[in-house]
Amino acid sequence: MSCSSDRRNGFFSKLYRRTGLSGPVFVLLGLAFLFVPLLPGDFPTIVGVEILILGLFALSFNLIYGYMGQISFGHAAFFGLGAYATALLFRASQTATGEIGYIDFFLSLLIAMPVSAIGALIVGFFCVRLTGIYFALLSLAFGELLFYIVFSWYGFTGGDDGIQGLMPPPFFRDPDNYYYFTLAVVAVAGLLLWRITNSPFGYTLKMLRDNQRRAAFLGINVRLAMLMNFVVAGAFAGVAGALWGPFQRSVAPVLLGWMESGIPVFMTLIGGADFFAGPIVGSVIYTALNSYVTRYTVYWPLTIGLIILVIVLFFPGGILSIIDTRIRSYRNRQEAKEDLPVPSSEKMGSSQ
Amino acid sequence: MKRKILEVRELNKHFGGLHAVKDVNFDLFEGDRSAIIGPNGAGKTTFFNLLTGYHHADSGKVIFDGEDITNHPSHKISRVGISRAFQISNIFPKLTVFHNLRSAVQAQMGRAFDMFGRASQVGIEETERILALCGLAERRSVMAGELSQGDKKKLELALALAGKPKLLLLDEPTAGMSLEETRETMSLVDRLNEEYSLTILFTEHDMAVVFDHALRVTLLNRGEIIIAGTPEQVRMNESAQSIYLGEY
Repeated sequence: MSCSSDRRNGFFSKLYRRTGLSGPVFVLLGLAFLFVPLLPGDFPTIVGVEILILGLFALSFNLIYGYMGQISFGHAAFFGLGAYATALLFRASQTATGEIGYIDFFLSLLIAMPVSAIGALIVGFFCVRLTGIYFALLSLAFGELLFYIVFSWYGFTGGDDGIQGLMPPPFFRDPDNYYYFTLAVVAVAGLLLWRITNSPFGYTLKMLRDNQRRAAFLGINVRLAMLMNFVVAGAFAGVAGALWGPFQRSVAPVLLGWMESGIPVFMTLIGGADFFAGPIVGSVIYTALNSYVTRYTVYWPLTIGLIILVIVLFFPGGILSIIDTRIRSYRNRQEAKEDLPVPSSEKMGSSQ
Repeated sequence: MKRKILEVRELNKHFGGLHAVKDVNFDLFEGDRSAIIGPNGAGKTTFFNLLTGYHHADSGKVIFDGEDITNHPSHKISRVGISRAFQISNIFPKLTVFHNLRSAVQAQMGRAFDMFGRASQVGIEETERILALCGLAERRSVMAGELSQGDKKKLELALALAGKPKLLLLDEPTAGMSLEETRETMSLVDRLNEEYSLTILFTEHDMAVVFDHALRVTLLNRGEIIIAGTPEQVRMNESAQSIYLGEY
């Protein structure tokens, strides 16, 4: 008896009751992330940065997909806009030898969020007029439009050459330091997103996902709510984009393209769109696999294609949904056991 | 003299060649408990859709509480105080009963766009009150999509109440309910009208429900009002009998 009540009042059990599966997943992942740079070599650390940046990108995407119930095939536009905003200001602040001061470095990171938000406001203004496949196609069209502008505007963006030589200030050149910096930014952004999804606005999004017509009859301005969410999602994608350039030392137009837009879609499907933590879990799996598979084979698209196929066909809720179903049925069985009026001797026995 | 809360003038709506609502004039006074009856396709639901901004009227006016709300968007009409419960229950299937209602309450409080508050701390008392009022307290943790038909209709009504309406439109509130649930729901409707002085307009196919609970009855056929009056007047009316009531 005491054993089972201990289990039910343990830290993870309490957290699960309060936050669902996402709380425990975040605590565990957060702890694991802290120790990644201790692994031998720089490779895991570099993969770790990529997991974090793309994970934040996917978290922002899931505001639109999992929470609002619309799918965007053009979300990379805002990731890329953020990356380019940072890169352009970065380049403008560099000395002739390519050095950049710390303040200029931070300023160039900070500009990404508002630029992406404004981009999302303009694109969103049109997209939120539609839902379903039309929303998806329009977001794709705008993504490609922005990609093409960046791709062709040599004078301003460097065209298909992209922007190179984004060498961060000395402290951030060390992979471990850039890793912890990224971890801190992603953690803060993740907490903000967590707050938003658990705010009244977060539930407004879920109403829109389930039933837009009903939400309107409850007094909610559906288009305005969708637009606000589109802007928030775009802004956080911009934060992720900002971290990308100084990490890769360069940006390129493909960051805005439809292939890049597919990444958060894959990650979210793998991890589970119904869970706040789903996209991050998806990023861990997707990015780690990508990094290691491409070491041994050029067939990465085939590999990820097969993984997605298996997930969509057999585990449509994603990895976390499988785990959550198990936990739920386990807890139900435990509760059923405890509710049964069993003799005290048997109670003792069952707690072993 | 009671205050006029709803005034509909010469309202018309066509769907292609179908004249779904035809020159309808209709008044509702504060505290009324009124029913609209008529055969299938008479235009009852279309009339509700016009009142709540889901369809645009071709011509005519809808004035609510002194304000012209003709063809206003649904969310604005909801905010001036008209709530609606749907014939086919129209809820949020992937949220629990409690979250359905809490979200609706938060929308009514003007908090739908609040990104930094905690949803778990806003409007809880009101949510609990309506849950209890509608007999849903025990079902609070159930996913709304998994409720029985009768409970879905109760939630439907609860959502409409969360809007703190002055006028409540109920489209066949007891459709799909057992006799027991029908009795419970209609006695709640009566209570809302009597104790909370809510103005109620409902459509219903079950004539026993209509004549037991409506204080006024309007008969609609092919988009036109045939007769409006007390239940007794409508029941005695010959054309009402031939169109709809039959031997009732």
